[in-house]
Amino acid sequence: MSFFSWAWDWVTTDANWHGSGSIPQQLVAHLGYSALPLLIAALIGVPVGVLIGHTGRGAVTVVNVANAWRAIPTLGLLILLAVFLGFSPITWLLPLVVLAIPPILVNAYEGIAGVDPSIKDAAKGMGMTPWQQVTRVEVPNALPLILVGLRTAAIFVVATATIAAYIGLGGLGRFIIDGLASDQYGPVAGGALLVVILAVLVLALFAGLSRLVIPAGLRKQAKTE
Amino acid sequence: MITFQAVTKRYPDGTVAVDGLNLEVPEGKTMVLVGPSGCGKTTSLRMINRLVEPTEGAIFLDGTDIRDRNPAQLRRGIGYVIQQTGLFPHRTVEDNIGTVPVLNGWPRKKARDRARELLTLVGLDQELARRYPHQLSGGQQQRVGVARALAADPPVLLMDEPFSAVDPVVRASLQDQLLSLQAELRKTVVLVTHDIEEAIKVGDVVALFRPHGKLAQVAPPEELLAAPADDYVASFVGFDRGIRRLGFIAAEGLALGTGPVLPADATVAQAMASAEPWILVTQTGSGSPRGWVDTADLAVIPDGTPLGQLDTKGFGHAFTVGADSLRAALDAAVLSPAGQAIGVDGDGRVLGVATFDQLRAAIQAGEGWQARQKARP
Amino acid sequence: MMWSWIPSNGSLIWNLTWENAKLGVLPALIGLVISLPLGVIAARWRWFYPPLLTVINILYAIPSLALFIALIPAFGLTDTTVIIALTVFSLCVILPNVVAGLRGVPAAVTQAATAMGYGPFRRLVTVELPLAVPVILAGLRVGVVASISLASVGQLIGVSSLGYLFIDGLQRSFPTEIYVGLVLVIALALACDLILVAVRRALTPWAVRPRRERARPRPQQLEEAAI
Repeated sequence: MSFFSWAWDWVTTDANWHGSGSIPQQLVAHLGYSALPLLIAALIGVPVGVLIGHTGRGAVTVVNVANAWRAIPTLGLLILLAVFLGFSPITWLLPLVVLAIPPILVNAYEGIAGVDPSIKDAAKGMGMTPWQQVTRVEVPNALPLILVGLRTAAIFVVATATIAAYIGLGGLGRFIIDGLASDQYGPVAGGALLVVILAVLVLALFAGLSRLVIPAGLRKQAKTE
Repeated sequence: MITFQAVTKRYPDGTVAVDGLNLEVPEGKTMVLVGPSGCGKTTSLRMINRLVEPTEGAIFLDGTDIRDRNPAQLRRGIGYVIQQTGLFPHRTVEDNIGTVPVLNGWPRKKARDRARELLTLVGLDQELARRYPHQLSGGQQQRVGVARALAADPPVLLMDEPFSAVDPVVRASLQDQLLSLQAELRKTVVLVTHDIEEAIKVGDVVALFRPHGKLAQVAPPEELLAAPADDYVASFVGFDRGIRRLGFIAAEGLALGTGPVLPADATVAQAMASAEPWILVTQTGSGSPRGWVDTADLAVIPDGTPLGQLDTKGFGHAFTVGADSLRAALDAAVLSPAGQAIGVDGDGRVLGVATFDQLRAAIQAGEGWQARQKARP
Repeated sequence: MMWSWIPSNGSLIWNLTWENAKLGVLPALIGLVISLPLGVIAARWRWFYPPLLTVINILYAIPSLALFIALIPAFGLTDTTVIIALTVFSLCVILPNVVAGLRGVPAAVTQAATAMGYGPFRRLVTVELPLAVPVILAGLRVGVVASISLASVGQLIGVSSLGYLFIDGLQRSFPTEIYVGLVLVIALALACDLILVAVRRALTPWAVRPRRERARPRPQQLEEAAI
């Protein structure tokens, strides 16, 4: 049998939709475990990235962070914290937040730093205060990249929350980890399929968001380039 | 009025961009800062709105040291136009123009109305208001940049190589627009360019910089052409400055002769009787010029033939008496096969012709030329 | 931290490191080999790139564990499963860089080459690709580093890597093992990164040393996709 037939069989089994640990339950849990770290990471990463991009100070650190963050094995980090802190909210929340910050920060920085210097010069020259320059000119022009950073982080968080099931976290990863432990490929495949669908939905969400949020002048400009 | 007092800009690596600059920008006039690359003209301009801070010296705006003013507030009262326009790509044209008024607290509707007024002022169509900058041509974008700088009606306008990035035809049109705007608005304009022709065309006063931030000469463009302060200025201005200076002298004093002028219905016999080497044939009725006829060629043609039936040689262009300069007249004479310039009135009717001798007399009479020649060492 | 554990398990550590290295480097290299022709086509025929990019964005969104699992029925609980999955991810990172690198070659240079009589293939190999090396290699670096790190997740489906040290360390509540695993994964990734930087310097003797490294595809390229 193929991956899809295993997954489809399991997902369409009605029993899996009821009771504790059911699909809807884990789905909602997974959304929560993904959304919260993402939100916190965004609240930290975007302002810091924008600040570094505007002032130029600390740019070297950003570059190093950009290169280094992918090297950190998420599984290892999760397990390390689990060994020391047992299983508490911090154990999964902290690494997810910390690992979600780099793509957000780096892209926010790149977005601001990449705004055409003559636009920044004009904004300053016409008498905008630094706050006005950042909020009215730089951030709107950096939005495409900021959204890319948020999207990358969102996908990353969804994936890592799946793995965090290994240290006891609920969510869709539960089906995968428990299924692997008990040699049942059904839930393993089903869980995997659901996670993939969730990830693609996140992608679509961001595509829609970008259409909504990015100023029309920038979108069309990208197309004519 | 803007005053530079012993202003110097020295960078940490030792480069001196501006060296002890003393300059007064007259109110309500266009001052052009011109010079080679790296001469400090752009740096000087950007010190006026404090985008660059001087290392030494002070700059006064209407008597107040600009360092005593909050930079952002200072800049709201100064229009700023740059070469790459710096238009905000994320805003429509009208919202771009309305930026400073909105910053100053105007309601958006009022700012947009003002933006539309300004679109007309800079010669753009109203329907461009809701478009985005990238949808406009280079020349249109520059005009929007100027409109944006004028939106809050600042008394001072700074322009940094505003027309350098467009082609010569568009550039000429933008320069003309600036001249007509200034005639109407009378702002204090400081414009930076590397193009001496642009400086001469749009400037009321020209400040010519030497390399490394020192001034060579500050004078009205005509004086720069007539009396350059030294060899550097003379060579920067260009070796044909004598002829270009004629562009500032009106052609009105030029004596015109009507001897060679005959209408199309005059005959070959009349042409030969005039004893002129060349005859200018004009249209019967409108009096506009048709072309020149060499009388030496008339010998073989029957006496009774009307001049209108003959092939004429082209005349290049005519000059309009009362509107054109001596330079235009001289050019007309050079282009003419007869060596004579055709003077017409506002409707194109030929008033007369001027020979090289008559042009020479007018040139030497223009602006006390001889007196100035005697005064030079 | 029990330091003595390290020498007494030296061969285990070495084997796992070697396994992890293979599982990291191999997919990146295969990804490069696939990305090159695809990237050349996408750079040349512009209409091809946006749909391709959409596919890549979707593939890259798939969580690594899920892709491993999806490949199990076809390839079993083996190295191959992990290698194929990581190759797909590497491709997602490297391909946009191949396209960006080729498109980044100044038009003046390619036109001059054509005018001198270079045929398209020769021009590609001797002019465009060498000039695109810095950007392509930047993508390769990300591919290698990410693969080395993601390979450890393969341990969850039983494929050997340094991830074994995490799992074993958790089961035995033995932090030393976990530390060793973390340090080695990061060190391995860093070492490969530095090797690739050296490779880039060797391949581009003409280059001005940039102050900033671009380790990611130019985000504008990501935005060209339909999604």
